[in-house]
Amino acid sequence: MKEKKKMSLLAKQSAAGWVFLTPATILIAIMAFWPMVQAFIMSLQTGSSANLQWNDPIFNNYTRMFSDKVFMTSVGNTFLYLIIQVPIMLVLAILLAQLLNNQHLRFKGFFRTCVFLPCATALVSYALIFKSLFATDGLINAILVNLGILEQNYNFLGHPTSAKAVIILALIWRWTGYNMVFYLAGLQNIEYSVYEAAKIDGANGWQTFWRITVPLLRPTIVMTFIMSINGTLQLFDESVNLTNGGPSNSTITMSHYIYNNTFGTGGVSNFGYATAMCFFVFILVAILAFINMKVGDTRD
Amino acid sequence: MKRKILSVLLAGAMTFSLAACGGSGDSGSGDDAAAEGGAGEGENTLTVMAWDPAFNIPALEAAAADYKENVNEDFELEILEQAASEDVERAVTTAASAGDYSNLPDMVLFQDHYIQRYVSDYPDAWTALGDIDINWDDFAAEKLDYSTIDGEHYGVPVDNGTVVCAYRTDLLEEAGYTIDDLTGCTWDKFMEIGKAVYDKTGKALLCMNADGNDLPYMMMQAEGVSQFKDGKPYITENETLVEIVEKLVQMAKDGTLLMPNSWSDYTDKAIQGDQVAGVMNGNWIIPTIEKVEANSGKWEITSMPTLEGGEGYASNGGSSLYITSNCHNVDLAKDFLAYTFGGSTETYDNALRDGGVISTYAPAGETEVYQEGVEYFNNQPIYADIVEMGTNVQIVEQSDYHYSARNYVGTAIVNIINGADTMEALQEAEDQLNFEMGN
Amino acid sequence: MTEKKNISMIQRRLIPTYIFLIIVSFFSVFPFYWMISAATNTSFDVAQGKITIGGHLIENFNNLIANYDLWRAMGNSFVYAIVQVVLAILICSLAGFGFELYHDKGKDLVFSILLLAMMIPQVATMIPLFRLLSSAHLLNSVWGFILPSISTPFLIMMFRQNSRNFPVDTMEAARIDGLNEIQIFFRMYMPMMKSTYAAAAVITFMNAWNSYLWPKVIMTQPEAQTMPMLIANMSSGYTTDYGMLMVGVLFCSVPTMIVFFVLQKQFAEGITGAVK
Repeated sequence: MKEKKKMSLLAKQSAAGWVFLTPATILIAIMAFWPMVQAFIMSLQTGSSANLQWNDPIFNNYTRMFSDKVFMTSVGNTFLYLIIQVPIMLVLAILLAQLLNNQHLRFKGFFRTCVFLPCATALVSYALIFKSLFATDGLINAILVNLGILEQNYNFLGHPTSAKAVIILALIWRWTGYNMVFYLAGLQNIEYSVYEAAKIDGANGWQTFWRITVPLLRPTIVMTFIMSINGTLQLFDESVNLTNGGPSNSTITMSHYIYNNTFGTGGVSNFGYATAMCFFVFILVAILAFINMKVGDTRD
Repeated sequence: MKRKILSVLLAGAMTFSLAACGGSGDSGSGDDAAAEGGAGEGENTLTVMAWDPAFNIPALEAAAADYKENVNEDFELEILEQAASEDVERAVTTAASAGDYSNLPDMVLFQDHYIQRYVSDYPDAWTALGDIDINWDDFAAEKLDYSTIDGEHYGVPVDNGTVVCAYRTDLLEEAGYTIDDLTGCTWDKFMEIGKAVYDKTGKALLCMNADGNDLPYMMMQAEGVSQFKDGKPYITENETLVEIVEKLVQMAKDGTLLMPNSWSDYTDKAIQGDQVAGVMNGNWIIPTIEKVEANSGKWEITSMPTLEGGEGYASNGGSSLYITSNCHNVDLAKDFLAYTFGGSTETYDNALRDGGVISTYAPAGETEVYQEGVEYFNNQPIYADIVEMGTNVQIVEQSDYHYSARNYVGTAIVNIINGADTMEALQEAEDQLNFEMGN
Repeated sequence: MTEKKNISMIQRRLIPTYIFLIIVSFFSVFPFYWMISAATNTSFDVAQGKITIGGHLIENFNNLIANYDLWRAMGNSFVYAIVQVVLAILICSLAGFGFELYHDKGKDLVFSILLLAMMIPQVATMIPLFRLLSSAHLLNSVWGFILPSISTPFLIMMFRQNSRNFPVDTMEAARIDGLNEIQIFFRMYMPMMKSTYAAAAVITFMNAWNSYLWPKVIMTQPEAQTMPMLIANMSSGYTTDYGMLMVGVLFCSVPTMIVFFVLQKQFAEGITGAVK
């Protein structure tokens, strides 16, 4: 009897849980999954987007992309950004969060605002600023030449390697503060007494960081990793606004190339092909996120 | 109290998401003051999408004022300003892809090179001009070639893309030349002069943005050659193209050809930054040149060099007005277009004065405004000269893949400058283009 | 006395930290300074790379007001962003609460499926979404703008992750005291999760305020134009007036900064007190 009552109470609670998550779930189903299903159908088709025809063979768009040199270049570029930029940015973000979480630090608000400022600046200005700083006659060149590091002005955005480096720097500049905010919020959820206890146990700063901070921040780290991987694999704005994919497609990202194919910017739009490439990106992100969650999530 | 507000909000959000879920999210709940649909409301109102507040928008305003004053005093033209021509293209693409044209305006201003593909891809988006009252013989043949599809006229020309070669006469003089030496000369001669100018003044006689690639296209059109032949890419076997690419690469190495990274560097740093002694582009570049007030009176314009010598003519850019299938008053739109851009010198005079928009309508070139000498260009009557040059532009084979071809050739040029083999790079461009075309 | 000495010692040990933070702050703030200086110079000077403050701010501002409807775009952006923030944090926090504190196998499965939505590239769904919203007559409306981004897997995940710190025992205690589940959410969860709400609000506001591609597709009327669209209009065309552009960019950047500045204190202070 008593058992039964408890069961129904649990069932009631579980039902309440379902009610809470319903609005969000329904919205995502309509605004993300339903369009995705439609996009998948389109990815099997070809022709102008007003008059799509079934492909023959049906997966032609999918097999096609592997012999598309520009697309392969864009995959390579995107992964290069991912491998270099994400770890640097996240380590820097944790470091900054840790420093800013120090009880004794003064002007905390000021520093926090400064570090966060880049991601509050509008995209147009950010692109303009980096373009101007790294221009052949820009400030960076002036400084490097004066210091004797460079002999003459260098066209940073005009050479493949340096253009990629500028994009990576710009990404780090813009997004470190953003990630730092998550870590800071996570750190502030850790009670100070935990640290006090560690100190009493004789742990030094490095040990506390690895044994307390990182484990307690794990959910946040997993989240920011997934976010960053996802954001980088879908990188679009920087490629468009900073270099327009150039010189000669050496900095173009997957999303940029997909966008060009979707709306026919600089070419002819091929919607079916573009959505097929989208699913390629989707699968990549899903795999990486899955690995990440398996590695990072120790709760279950 | 706080809780109450929140629960009201929550309830509201829930009902709302349910409503949206049924797909019946009625306009009553969501729409604010914004008008339904793109097409104008009133009997005498037309809407049009355009994109440059310093260029084609003043031209449209001039046309609207002209029509309002002389034909219909109740007429209103509502201009929907877009950020770039790309946005107009995207609006049409999105509408066509969704199969819903009801948000398109009555008319759109559209880039010439794209329109053929848009008409063939989205035939339902347009209204052919049919019996519109325009004497088409008054317009440059090359310009009309774009907007005429299967013998049917779709667009009314607005601005003119005729290529001008503008040179700094003072710098030429310093190097011991005059603009006459550059008129009708060969490209070899041009390169020689370019070197002399660069050695004397440190300024480049030619300029092209590295991601722009329109220069090779213009040079080829001046030779009467296209990147396409019989609908197929015509690149590695196109001796003219190969020769032009080799010349451009040589000029880049000599310092005669300046290559800024992007379009904005081209206009803002190279031209406005006073780094060039010459500019070769569609005549719409003129207002940019004129931004450097200190150089007033030092510029003059002429036609393009060619490989074998003789004056070359080409066209780059330029757009026309098209009536969409969503136009709520086709007769009014036709009448407006026929009266203004189809034959009113008043419209064209004001478009030139306010926006620097030059016509391809031949009679417009005869008006006083066009005949006036322009102080910035040493009192040369450049506008009349440009209209005149426009009539000489040759028709070359066009393709839906025009911009793709340009991109791949441009990429090849950058790669060759960075050390790639010429024929290999061009072969790659041709392969990539064939790939995209599905050949 | 020892207290004081202690403090100065701690501060001395923090010197490397200060130096490091000052360097990072400089790099972070410099471009912002550049933006302000550009807003006070003529377009020509900006293109020439001038980085000192000039005297053309008023002139640039007047140009902007004369050529563009700045206030309408600001107003639109505010309305869209605020409606999106309110609905998004409410709906996503409810979901995060539901997923974490009532979690069972079924809900965990639904959550993993929802996470997939985060990985869908925006360009893929744009055309189908446009078709959906235009058939629902929601173009050019605030709903068309916000509907695709009210419920995001990311925000749900954030609330779910942070809910792990929520004390389950007190929830049981509250139930015994007779609170029902909805009351628990509003009376206990919301106040305790203040910091998460603040962070979520900042993030959502920034995303809504800066979003560009989607409004461009869905806002076909100039009356519905947003700030980033206005700025893009200014920076296109054959020539750009950089001075005027940068005044616009300033107007576009300031609200996100203010929002962050106002809310950062709240979540910095709110946290330690709230989850005790």
